[in-house]
Amino acid sequence: MKVLTDPALCVGADLTAWMARGGGEGLARALAEPASIIPMLEAAGLRGLGGAGFPTHRKWAAVAAQPGPERWIICNGNEDEPGTFKDRFLLAETPHQVIEGALIAAVATGAAQVVLYVNPREAAGVLACRAAVAAWQAHPLAAAVSAAIGQALCLRVVESSGHYIGGEETGAVSSVMGGFPFPRLKPPFPFEQGVNDRPTLINNVETLAHVAHILRHGADWYRALGLGDAAGTKLYSLSGDVLRPGLHELPMGTPLRELVFVHGGGMLAGKAFKAVFTGGPSNTLLTGADLDVALDFESVRARGSRLGTGAMIVVGEGTSILRKTAEYVAFFAANSCGQCPPCKIGTHQVSRILERLDTGAGRAGDLEALENLSHMLPGSGRCGLVDGAATVLASSLETFRAEYEAALPRD
Amino acid sequence: MSDAGMTDGGMSGGIGFAAALAAWDAAAPAPARACGLEVADLLRGFHPDHRPGGMVSLVAGPNEGAPCPAQLAVLLQSDSLLEDVDLAGATILDADVLVLGGGGAGCVAALAAARAGARVLMATKLRMGDGNTVMAEGGIQAAIGAEDSLQRHFEDTLRAGHFAADKALVAALVGDGPDAIRWLIREGMSFDLADERQRMGGALLRKKPGGATAARLLSYRDFTGLELMRALREAVLLQPGITVLDGHPALELLTDDRGRCGGAALQDLGQRRLVLARAGATIMATGGAGRLHLAGFPTSNHYGATADGLVLAYRAGARLREMDSFQFHPTGIAWPPHLEGTLVSEAARSAGARLVNGQGERFVEELAPRDVVASAMLRELAEGRGIGRDGKLGLFLDTPSLEREQPGILAQRLQTLSHLAHRAGFDPAREPFLVRPTLHYQNGGMAIDTDGRSALPGLLAAGEVTGGLHGRNRMMGNALLELVVFGRRAGASAAADARQERPRNLGLNHLAGWRRGLVAAGLGLEAKGPLLFPPYGNVTPQDLRRRAA
Amino acid sequence: MSETEPAGTPLRLVFNGHALQARPGVSLLQAWIAAGLPLTENVGCMGQGVCGACRVLVRRPGERIAGTALACEMPAEEGMQISFIDHFPARRPHAYDLSALTDSWSIPDQIDAVFPEAKHCRHCSGCDRACPKGIPVQRMVNLAAEGQVFAAAALFDACVMCNLCVAACPEHIDPAHLGQFTRRMHAALTLRPADLMQRLRQIEAGEQPIDLDAPGASPPVQR
Repeated sequence: MKVLTDPALCVGADLTAWMARGGGEGLARALAEPASIIPMLEAAGLRGLGGAGFPTHRKWAAVAAQPGPERWIICNGNEDEPGTFKDRFLLAETPHQVIEGALIAAVATGAAQVVLYVNPREAAGVLACRAAVAAWQAHPLAAAVSAAIGQALCLRVVESSGHYIGGEETGAVSSVMGGFPFPRLKPPFPFEQGVNDRPTLINNVETLAHVAHILRHGADWYRALGLGDAAGTKLYSLSGDVLRPGLHELPMGTPLRELVFVHGGGMLAGKAFKAVFTGGPSNTLLTGADLDVALDFESVRARGSRLGTGAMIVVGEGTSILRKTAEYVAFFAANSCGQCPPCKIGTHQVSRILERLDTGAGRAGDLEALENLSHMLPGSGRCGLVDGAATVLASSLETFRAEYEAALPRD
Repeated sequence: MSDAGMTDGGMSGGIGFAAALAAWDAAAPAPARACGLEVADLLRGFHPDHRPGGMVSLVAGPNEGAPCPAQLAVLLQSDSLLEDVDLAGATILDADVLVLGGGGAGCVAALAAARAGARVLMATKLRMGDGNTVMAEGGIQAAIGAEDSLQRHFEDTLRAGHFAADKALVAALVGDGPDAIRWLIREGMSFDLADERQRMGGALLRKKPGGATAARLLSYRDFTGLELMRALREAVLLQPGITVLDGHPALELLTDDRGRCGGAALQDLGQRRLVLARAGATIMATGGAGRLHLAGFPTSNHYGATADGLVLAYRAGARLREMDSFQFHPTGIAWPPHLEGTLVSEAARSAGARLVNGQGERFVEELAPRDVVASAMLRELAEGRGIGRDGKLGLFLDTPSLEREQPGILAQRLQTLSHLAHRAGFDPAREPFLVRPTLHYQNGGMAIDTDGRSALPGLLAAGEVTGGLHGRNRMMGNALLELVVFGRRAGASAAADARQERPRNLGLNHLAGWRRGLVAAGLGLEAKGPLLFPPYGNVTPQDLRRRAA
Repeated sequence: MSETEPAGTPLRLVFNGHALQARPGVSLLQAWIAAGLPLTENVGCMGQGVCGACRVLVRRPGERIAGTALACEMPAEEGMQISFIDHFPARRPHAYDLSALTDSWSIPDQIDAVFPEAKHCRHCSGCDRACPKGIPVQRMVNLAAEGQVFAAAALFDACVMCNLCVAACPEHIDPAHLGQFTRRMHAALTLRPADLMQRLRQIEAGEQPIDLDAPGASPPVQR
């Protein structure tokens, strides 16, 4: 069941076409019964789809409960994780889903400042968003939103700096305020102190895209789309050693096996399935023993990993886990913002050791040093980047230790 | 290291710290007690070089019959870690000039050789820039004062060394001195000025080092070595024509069938394999031997100072000189135990700080040559007038009186000293240091000529590893000078030598003769060398050769 | 200070993955050595704090943001987690020739040409936090980028070239090398002591001969 990726809704910036295909109905419902918005999201079971999986209704309620009048909404479309490519699709092909969801959020939380936060590297997406936002300015629904909030709605596009770290919540706040996207210590959280120290709601664009449909069709409809206890659909970014990589919209809770072997066309060149780097790749690896896991937040967490952004990077036999881990840690090291030496220097040090191991220059003591760093580094920075690097390192070390040991010097 | 100091003989229990502190406080400024001994008797009686049983005679090699500290003799008369078969399949690197050692002398030599057009390969055990040089504090001598002269510097050096030094070498050392300073400034090294505002046309700040008749010690704060090494490190990194191999200690020199040195076999510590570095000329710049803890003394030296180069050169046939002469710096930290041996700069004494025993008395002229001061201190300790604290014996260095007499001097001119006291946990303006002689410098070493060449064709040397400059006792400030003057000379000579006919049939050709010599002398072949790392490095060279994890 | 060494229970640390026990009062480096662990790199001046080799990341129990230190100087504390950090060389060689820098009017251009990254400092202060000597590195970088050579050089007096700031900088400015560039310029381009120059002239004119056979060059005649 295609909801977000319904071809009929991929109208780009064309607002007239969007309205003709059912767009605007969700917003109209929200404007008619503003008090029902947050309860509806709760009933629908919508969770944050940018990585954390936090219940969306709780975030909205927290912002709504903060004193006004100035409140902000940042629609986070920075998307710079390796292996994740869903947000850029939405922003380029169907930005109105996101904008309508954001406007519903504005009504629910009383936020007049709505920012579409986009990555300048996605030129098509930036163009589409700018045109889409321009189209809304004159629309009666926008005026209705202003009236509902009691302040003039200010809807605009803000380009991020293009850095990976700009996707981090507090980094996005720094960026929207005009500076480098430096993450900040939490607490305080953005819902209480964000842009200009005012209450700020930050949601991933995929999350907001679902909101319009939930308001239009109701919570029960949304719940029914998911499998088991999970709700709604999910955009899974599938990549790696599979025949059909790409964006797959499937019911939330689709088993990993089905994603890889049915929708993904199975393993490339007949290779055996080895592992999956999930969600970012800053989480615990899933292995062959996890092929039956339902890809929803709770089920993946029960397996000791995280769904994250729903990115699934598949690795087959013949691909080195050590090398992939080295690649991802190097990514984190390069993208560390620099504020916290344990993150920047720590990830670089891990990267160095992994590179040594990968190039046959490993030394006695390297594995102990890596494990030590994987224990020492989590929580040692202002944001979660260093935790992600430490998690993927620890997981690959534990689950594929033999590969690491094979890289050590031998007589 | 804390454990090494317990065996140096002849120390009676001293006076308790609290009592000694009270005596010092009551007597300050400390009255002087006459020495009562002629210098020669003082040295003979108390200098560690003269300890009974400390010296043995070498029985093999070019210096057969010469005295040498027992521990060093074992290494000098050791067998190689390598066999010819180990060279098979090793990676081969070719260069014009190979520099072994990345401290001050090594870096200067590499720069000089590269600028003379040579392709230079520098192999270091640790990193380029590591060595005793970076730890030097006091300064560098050069006869630039109007009242001073090259002749005076020449004579002061000879006299401090008890006239055992090679006159031609000393003349070269002092003669090149002023130019060495200019060379260093051109490389970007700063020096303290008498008036810091007079950068152009002013005078360098000059102090009188122990044993000198004129003030000619130039310095940068009390971390002259760090300032020097910082500039040199950058210069080496930026010099085209120098390739640096960190973590590649030399295990053996390579010689050809005529006994000519043609490079070295290096151990790649990271990859655990041998690398053969072939060169037209090889410069030994491996520094000192303090981490052998001769006579059981703690040391002020860098971790890598294990006499590696001396061992390799001797084995290949190079003659050494004054191997029985080591300098014990009078003031190494005696307390707290975890900092034992760390240098307390002579800059403090140059500035006027005095040495005081447990009875509150001075007992020696503080700026006498180091061997005299060290011997006098060891005498106080041996005769029960030392100060004991937490099981460590030492004497007071009276920094509080210095600060009282020259307010602010600790913060302005003696930062390293103050930093050290702070790390030791006391305020040097209120409490004196507890100090004791520490093994500091190798006075002797490889014999060289004024061009830096050893008697072994193809092998040159510069820096602490060489002998003949300091006689039997080095003057403060001549070590930094030596590494610049002879680093430049050796580098230029090596570049010239490398243009000659290259050595052929390189291998371990000298080993067979060496082994025959050991056996004939009644020594076994069990002892292996070089040592590479001190025992508390918890790894032997044999461990490093094995590839097992 | 107390008269006797503190008896104290041994401190427990984890250092590069090894669980160690350390006597109170020792440095981290000494704890490593005392535990019998091999030491073939990340070591040098053994406590003088001047060579920058023994770089470590240190996290104290309950501390959120770990810090950097030199292991030979840092006293061991209960519950510390420590990791050695490699020497990180500059990302790329910043080539310049001091002797060719003859026109000092061009210094700001030179700095920009050799260290173009310096003007893109993003002010993250990671270098300041990484420096085990407490040098205000970021300020030095900013001053150097503005051509304030002497001020930048003065701030970098205490640098031991541990290169932790080089590892920490996300813009690849290589601050330690920029700092040394300013220091070297400071000396090489402006330090001209007259006493040194006078003596050099004398030597070049042959006015400072050395007599190897002068009386002072031999031991005094014994009675």
